[in-house]
Amino acid sequence: MAQRAVWLISHEPGTPLCGIVRFSRRYPTVEKRAKVFNGATYVPIPEDGPFLKALLFKLRLLDGDTDFVESRDGCSRINKTSVYGLPVESEEIWPVVAFLKNGIIYACVPLVEQTLSPCPPLISISGISQGFELLFGLQDFLYSGQKNEAELNTKLNQLPDLLLHSCPFGTLLDANLQNTLDGVNFASVSQPQKQPAWKVGAYKGKPQVSISITEKVKSMQYDKRDIADMWQVVGVVTCKCDLEGVMPNVTISLSLPTNGSPLQDILVHPCVTSLDSAILTSSSIDSMDDSAFSGPYKFPFSPPLESFNLCYYTSQVPVPPILGFYQMKEEEVQLKVTVNLKLHESVKNNFEFCEAHIPFYNRGPITHLEYKVSFGQLEIFREKSLLIWIIGQKFPKSMEINLSGTVTFGAKTHEKQPFDQICIGGTAYVKLHFRILDYTLTGCYADQHSVQVFAPGKPKISTPPLSKVSKLQLWISDGSGHIPSPPPG
Amino acid sequence: MGPLSRETWAQRLGAFRASPSAFMAGPEGEGLGSDLLSDLRSEKLSEHTKVSLLTLTLEFPAQLWPDAPAAEAAASSLLDTLVLLPPRPSALRRPLLLAATTALAAGGALGPTSGASGRLLPLLLGLASGRDLGRGFGPASEQHLLQATACECLRELESCKPGLLGGCLGLLRGLLRHEGPVQPLSLLLALVLRNTLEVQARAGASLQGLLVASNSPTGDGHSPWDWTLAGEGDAHLQAQAPSWPAAEEGGRGLAALEPSPEETRELRAVVAQLLDASYLLTPVAQAQLLWLLGWALRGRRGQPPALFKPQLVRLLGTAQLALLHAVLALKAAFGEAMFTTQDEALLLRRLALAAQHPALPPPAHLFYLHCLLSFPENWPLGPTGEEAAPLLLGPQQCRGLLPSLLHDPLSLLARLHLLCLLSAENEEEEEGQVQSPRRYLEELLGGLRQMSALEGGPRALATLCFQASYLVVRCLAGHPTVLTPLTHGLAQLYQARPALAPHFVDFLDRVGPELGKPLKGMLREQVVSREGGDGALRWHLQMLATVVDRDAQSATLRFLRAAAAHCTDWSLEQALLRVCRALLWAGGGDGLVDFLQELAGQLEDPDGRDHARLYYILLAHLAGPKLGVALGPSLAAPALTSSLVAENQDFATALTVQAALPPLRLSVGPRGAEGPGPVLQLQLEAQEPLYSLELRFRVEGQLYAPLGAVHVPYLCPGRPRLLRLPLQPRRPAPTRLDVRALYTTPAGLTCHAQLPPLPVDFANLFLPFPRPPGGTGPGFFEELWASCLPQGAESRVWCPLGPQGLEALVSRHLEPFVVAAQPPASYSVAIRLPPASRLLLRLEAAQADGVPVALRTDDWAVLPLAGDYLRGLSAAV
Repeated sequence: MAQRAVWLISHEPGTPLCGIVRFSRRYPTVEKRAKVFNGATYVPIPEDGPFLKALLFKLRLLDGDTDFVESRDGCSRINKTSVYGLPVESEEIWPVVAFLKNGIIYACVPLVEQTLSPCPPLISISGISQGFELLFGLQDFLYSGQKNEAELNTKLNQLPDLLLHSCPFGTLLDANLQNTLDGVNFASVSQPQKQPAWKVGAYKGKPQVSISITEKVKSMQYDKRDIADMWQVVGVVTCKCDLEGVMPNVTISLSLPTNGSPLQDILVHPCVTSLDSAILTSSSIDSMDDSAFSGPYKFPFSPPLESFNLCYYTSQVPVPPILGFYQMKEEEVQLKVTVNLKLHESVKNNFEFCEAHIPFYNRGPITHLEYKVSFGQLEIFREKSLLIWIIGQKFPKSMEINLSGTVTFGAKTHEKQPFDQICIGGTAYVKLHFRILDYTLTGCYADQHSVQVFAPGKPKISTPPLSKVSKLQLWISDGSGHIPSPPPG
Repeated sequence: MGPLSRETWAQRLGAFRASPSAFMAGPEGEGLGSDLLSDLRSEKLSEHTKVSLLTLTLEFPAQLWPDAPAAEAAASSLLDTLVLLPPRPSALRRPLLLAATTALAAGGALGPTSGASGRLLPLLLGLASGRDLGRGFGPASEQHLLQATACECLRELESCKPGLLGGCLGLLRGLLRHEGPVQPLSLLLALVLRNTLEVQARAGASLQGLLVASNSPTGDGHSPWDWTLAGEGDAHLQAQAPSWPAAEEGGRGLAALEPSPEETRELRAVVAQLLDASYLLTPVAQAQLLWLLGWALRGRRGQPPALFKPQLVRLLGTAQLALLHAVLALKAAFGEAMFTTQDEALLLRRLALAAQHPALPPPAHLFYLHCLLSFPENWPLGPTGEEAAPLLLGPQQCRGLLPSLLHDPLSLLARLHLLCLLSAENEEEEEGQVQSPRRYLEELLGGLRQMSALEGGPRALATLCFQASYLVVRCLAGHPTVLTPLTHGLAQLYQARPALAPHFVDFLDRVGPELGKPLKGMLREQVVSREGGDGALRWHLQMLATVVDRDAQSATLRFLRAAAAHCTDWSLEQALLRVCRALLWAGGGDGLVDFLQELAGQLEDPDGRDHARLYYILLAHLAGPKLGVALGPSLAAPALTSSLVAENQDFATALTVQAALPPLRLSVGPRGAEGPGPVLQLQLEAQEPLYSLELRFRVEGQLYAPLGAVHVPYLCPGRPRLLRLPLQPRRPAPTRLDVRALYTTPAGLTCHAQLPPLPVDFANLFLPFPRPPGGTGPGFFEELWASCLPQGAESRVWCPLGPQGLEALVSRHLEPFVVAAQPPASYSVAIRLPPASRLLLRLEAAQADGVPVALRTDDWAVLPLAGDYLRGLSAAV
């Protein structure tokens, strides 16, 4: 379950190596075990330079790397997980857990406690999930609250010290590096017994609990008889509990309005101590019936010090918040487009922002545009072949708005214009981005009275404003292209 | 050298990290390890710098101290530094403990004879048990941190030497119950417990009350660590594998061990103690604990896995990758004993949910999807080790897991695999359904092909399309309803974008004939129906080299003729020639000979012309099988990137002569028919069929004129052949012939073998005198006899006779040369010795054991040879 080595690599296209190893750490005691366990199939951990090159090649992140190379592009070189075999100096190092996020490649090599030939299934290697946890932990640490390169560098500089505490010998002790950082700075003379390892020290001060619920909706609308539209709400409940005592107990109940759509696919934070089996089994992958559990959803837990996501859920609300219609018609050199949007009456008409992006892929720059909008304004990005319809804070009283226009495109130059493999010919989409304040689509809420706290003092309980960020995509196709349709039900 | 400054160290460490091997090979490398150890005690360096030095030793001990004595010395030095620290708070104690542990464990110095090990272990145990170790160990504020650190170090030592701390089980239990940090102690206890159980089980011993012993680390005569349990070398490490419990048969006889009731109870109590406190551990540490306890209890009698059950609901509710993975490990370890069918269904649904939950990151989705397809089922139907859709996971549950074009390549392939497995299973059920998974699969593949057909589209898209197609072919090879549209679709894709030829070639190499054959046919038709001169000629030629065969040769040649006019550069010419080569290999054809001859004259590049000529010659001179071998892929060089080099190597193998052991025997046979000169009759016997055999002879010295080679088209074992080898001696003397054989094996390889030297005896040169017109007779002999002198020489030799007597001797050896005789009493023998000598023998008045021979020759040099010959005759009988 240990790691042999871990790397953070920034992907820097345009530089000679296309990347820089920002951090790396090797674990020689684990390496020694690997040598014994892997026997004749043992491949040593390469130095940073060769590793960087092999990884970037594998992940297809090298500049100008367009030729067919069998070791990567061969049809039998199928990768179905973020775990790779990297050819380094005529040998292959496996398993390398690696993924790219925000321009940083996170990579590690877990110890496999057996021979590597035949390749054991990943599920049998305990170090794989531990490796993922380490990399996710690093990612959370680097990007929580980080705004710019300087802050990233500060955090990268803290890593050697932090890993000395959270992963001294390659076996991960805590994936929450912020917690480790707090622990390094917190030295108590008399640590109480039974102090959870995920909580360094205890809170001292005025007790308070705050809970917020954020929902996002994702919808795909096709306006086609044979393809069903899709929409799904994803919610997250975030808590911050400032309570005294080593292990205060808290129970939060989430409730739904009458006839509200039940919460499904609930995933909880590890600090939740027990879970009703109805919560565990409520899932969107089973067919719905009326007997579905609809709350209240009780979550007893002992909170960590920091703010944390108590649970995630999804829900299938009866209608999408905005219904859309998109039409595109090619007339010689011109393209006629029509977009209609209708806000559902049950939805609060109070947006922080709302805008529709209308991209035109695989075409030249926009040279000419004639349009009419019933509401809002249209911004034109000629070079990017993009229209943005800024709808603003409110839909008009009719709740319905529309745009129509004729677009003419110039000659296509490959480098500049956006490429998309799906939006070919008559296939295209409009993407709607919006945020509604103080509103949840499911109507899910945690009222103050439902929060039970077993800790000294009477805490102040707040449920700050809720917000909802959403994306909604309207797809059309004239049949010449393939719409990324959902699978048959 | 005095201590280095902070900046110098920073530079040095930077240079080292950039490439440790290069740095250590350089001038600065040698002293790095010792400088580092000494500067750790320098008062000029800040603690921060020293920590960075220690971090380096944690990562690269093998480079700094490459052997066990050096590692031992380094560990001792690190421990000295630790002891010498002033009793104020310091950030160095923890890294020093880690560094000493690393140096010993990684450097192979850990052992009963190591002094540093003997110092480190009691120190760690003392720290772990929270005892006051005196003023050297800093302020109380550091005690908790050091206690945890000591546990970590002990855990690492135990990992590297399983069983080492078996004697501490009781102590650790006590510590966990009363004091001490929960997580480090729990993990250490669980690891020691697991290892001790394994080691004891292998030794056939019981826990021997280790669980209840409360030995103290002060050492009451015996130390709590046990090198005998830890075993020699790394023996125990090897035995732990494999790590996946289900992969192992019968738990290696652990079950056979009958524990005492007391031991069973104690063991259960320890496990319960660990599990009860597991909530206090971080999620990743909880997962480690579950893996360890699962390993420890698997197959052990009297240990119901129900102990784990109270934890499961809590664990199943989380989205934590490590925790769900640990639950799966328990599932694999205990199967039905812990998970009923309903439990299994629930676990599968949680996995299916986690594999698509929008709140989780894509790498986690992919791992969960892998877990679904490798799920340790209670009653698996298929063979173990192969990915399959679990029985309890119906199409309904997989609805959200199906692929879409919007997915990234990894997700698309993972989900496509699931779709293929479901399609393969549900063939019967879905007949007649309009929106069947099969149809969806077809549309998806169509979409992928359309995406990769885009001109200028990225390579990744094409790769994805072909990988997806390959996955489908692999899973659904027996389903023509899937393969037929796939074949047509791919053929259309080539039509749209010939630049994908490398993908097609690779794809055709991998797939079986059920798809490969029809696809090849379609692609060939597509290529040859084109004009030769379009911009994609390079790709067409590459494609054609893969798909040509005996069929439609005339159309292929028509295309090639048209293409040849456009092959204006070297690489295109080579591509064209590769197609010719493939055609040759497929069996040639009449038109090809002409075409190659045309190319040999027409191509611009001399290399191309040479190649064409070579192919022409090969086609004209080699029969089918040999041609196939000459051009076929070589086993010697299976994977070379350059086809040119590969081709060169193939030829080299097929056409270059290989040295071999002689597979044939050559001997001098009986004297045969007469000729104008001496002829050696050779008998040739082969041990294996040989083709185109050529025997080359070389005479030692200048005694004979050079000999011509002998050719044998085919030599079959068991059927010896007689050969005539005409000799042209320059002097009448015996010699030895050096013989080499050149032949082709049935495998088509041309070989060369050196045969044992072949003796040419004096008698092999004997020729009879041509018959004079008046016939031979005493007169003729007397004439010859008289003519030898005076230039010649005369001698008398005693020729011993065997039991057969003179008559038999003459008839056996001299019969052809007898010119006058009065058998059995006297014989006159006249022998011609090429090039121009004669030897005359007169044998008469034979006695019981020999015959006196009078001999005359016109060449005195022949006399000793003749004497030896005669004296040796009886022995030769």
